[in-house]
Amino acid sequence: MEYGGFGALVEDMPKYGTLESMALTEQAANLSNEHHTTYKETTMPSNPTRTLLTAFLVAVGGGAALNTAAAETIKLGLSVPLSGAGANWGKGGEWLCQQAAADVAKAGGVKVGGKVYQFECVAYDNKYNAADGARVAQALLSKDKVRFIGGSLGTAPVRALQTRTEREDVLLFTVAWGASIKGPKFPLTFTQMNTPNEISLPLVRHVKQANPAIKTVALLNPNDATGQETEQIARKAWAAAGVTVVSSDWYERGTSEFQPAAAKLAAQKSDAIDLCSSPPADSGLVFKELADMGWKGVKVVQVGTGADGLVATGGPATEGAYLGAAITFDGPATSPLQRRLNDGARGILGESLNAVQIGFYDAVMALKAAMEKAQSIEPAAVAKALPQVSFDSFYGRSAFGGKDTYGSPQQMLVPVIVTQLQGGKLVEVARLAPAELRERGVQ
Amino acid sequence: MQTLLQLLFTTLQIGAVVVLFALGLTLIFGVLRIVNFAHGQFFTLSALTVAVAVPALVQHGLPVPWAYVLACLAGVAVATAVGMLVYELGFRRLERDMVGSFILSAGVVLLFEGLFLEVFGGAVRPVPPLLDGHVTLGGLSISAQRLLLCGMALTLTLALGWLLSRTRFGRSLRAVAIDHEAAMLQGVPYRSVAMRGFLVATLIGAVAGALTAPITAVSPTLGDAYLVKGFIAVIIGGLGSVAGAIVGSLFIAFIESFGGFYLDSSSATLATFVLVMLVLLVRPKGLLGHG
Repeated sequence: MEYGGFGALVEDMPKYGTLESMALTEQAANLSNEHHTTYKETTMPSNPTRTLLTAFLVAVGGGAALNTAAAETIKLGLSVPLSGAGANWGKGGEWLCQQAAADVAKAGGVKVGGKVYQFECVAYDNKYNAADGARVAQALLSKDKVRFIGGSLGTAPVRALQTRTEREDVLLFTVAWGASIKGPKFPLTFTQMNTPNEISLPLVRHVKQANPAIKTVALLNPNDATGQETEQIARKAWAAAGVTVVSSDWYERGTSEFQPAAAKLAAQKSDAIDLCSSPPADSGLVFKELADMGWKGVKVVQVGTGADGLVATGGPATEGAYLGAAITFDGPATSPLQRRLNDGARGILGESLNAVQIGFYDAVMALKAAMEKAQSIEPAAVAKALPQVSFDSFYGRSAFGGKDTYGSPQQMLVPVIVTQLQGGKLVEVARLAPAELRERGVQ
Repeated sequence: MQTLLQLLFTTLQIGAVVVLFALGLTLIFGVLRIVNFAHGQFFTLSALTVAVAVPALVQHGLPVPWAYVLACLAGVAVATAVGMLVYELGFRRLERDMVGSFILSAGVVLLFEGLFLEVFGGAVRPVPPLLDGHVTLGGLSISAQRLLLCGMALTLTLALGWLLSRTRFGRSLRAVAIDHEAAMLQGVPYRSVAMRGFLVATLIGAVAGALTAPITAVSPTLGDAYLVKGFIAVIIGGLGSVAGAIVGSLFIAFIESFGGFYLDSSSATLATFVLVMLVLLVRPKGLLGHG
């Protein structure tokens, strides 16, 4: 205690400040470089003292260089399901975030204020529920001090995360479909994929045009925040297309038996059945049960994200189904980037990429463009710049818009791709580019 | 009338899988006095093995029925072997220890879910149907695959009933379940009976997983939904009671089927939990429970 103790020493430490520490680091690095040069010029390795000093300074210099590099890394937090039924979406999202970060690094990094920054993706498992979403928010914001969320999945966990990000000036990207998480009240929140608001109307219009005999439709949704919001939008879209919604039912996410739900749907004898936001594997099981019960009609999964899970569980019963959020990768229009990423993802995930995962790649590209436009890495400044920039997304040139729908431009504008299962294969039947992109001359 | 028949048959189809699952849970509880929450992992492992093996064997030129038989045998063998490993390393040391076994089985669930995700990946695996087409019974169109599953479930349940009532091993199991100390005084080798009881229970769960593979979404989390249903079924029927497990399973299936049709699937799930509470209020040991 007479010497002030360790407490006094620790209390003194912050007085050096960050700038002083950086200056010392730079001096050490310079010294290291000088000694390295001296060693090369004089070629006198026989002096052990000099060799040891050189080695020490190289080590210190190397460490300093590493510290400098770490200081120029921007962490992108990810709140995604990495276990349970949604694990593949989360793992795919994390992998695409890493790929985008690597692509940005290859292209020279993010150049802001004369410095070059690199992205690093940090993912935590939100288990697709609100409680774990809150835990992930705590880890990302309090422990990792993340100031940019590169992607978050699931309306319930995203709501838990958003309660903190907006208050603590953290920019949040999300692929959650709920419309309730967007708007002028949430200026730091941005959606990086098409949601039912973007998909529903054009998809239903296309399905109705292709199948004019449809007069009635029955809806089925998972009974959670995502399903409840999707149902309202789907109901309006079918009504707008002149189709009567004869029933709308719910099921618990995680259900393994769909016979009762299918029996109820079949009993409605509707011309079409829309499974709205049901995951592909669940949708396949419902279509299989419907086929077993003899129902034959038009099959739609508005936010159907992929054919692999659908066909895996539904088999031939899924033939003809329309999907609103799936992508084909074997057509001539597939770009080298799309092919490279899809091939890589198939090796890791065992299935093709879907729109949910792709959003994680696009968010990184959007962030790079906005940071360079704003010449700042402050979330508020980047959020202001985001609606002003255009960038190369997975789908081509893209930007943010959607002010007419949400009250503020927070929606990434990417094409709505209508696909259909034909002969067991996913085929693109329509690609509807957002009118706003054309009007702004982005595409 | 047609709808009623359809719903009754749906009850039997759903009940068939839940019965097989619940029988395993109740057997383990009866003999070891533990609740094995990891039972669903052996069910899942068997289904995943079938999902991997069937397409691989078919690709090597084996006809689908033979591929299916071999894959089922492999699935059941792998899951049972892993089950026995877990028993030897863990549950054997925690017999009749409810708290210890609860913690162990919860840990095993997390461990296996993570392992399955790493080994098999998170994607849903397609399993070709063993039987294609439909059978028309009383004006009802029924999937041949589902009908086969019902038949297998009935056969297994009857076989288990015979095993318990007509064999020396079965009588030992029942004696241990009623009073293990009295059984030991009568010369019943408790350790051996407990080990074989766990083996039979895991085997039944593995068979259920293998049979369910072609009609469900096979993924690392497959067992979770069945675990909840199976657990509710044995609580309603009475922990440790074989007849109770069957009654409880059919009760669950009935609510799921009729509730799902006349209300919706979500309300049916809610109704199941409400009815469990009511049953436990009236009969705290379950409908046929005695322990």
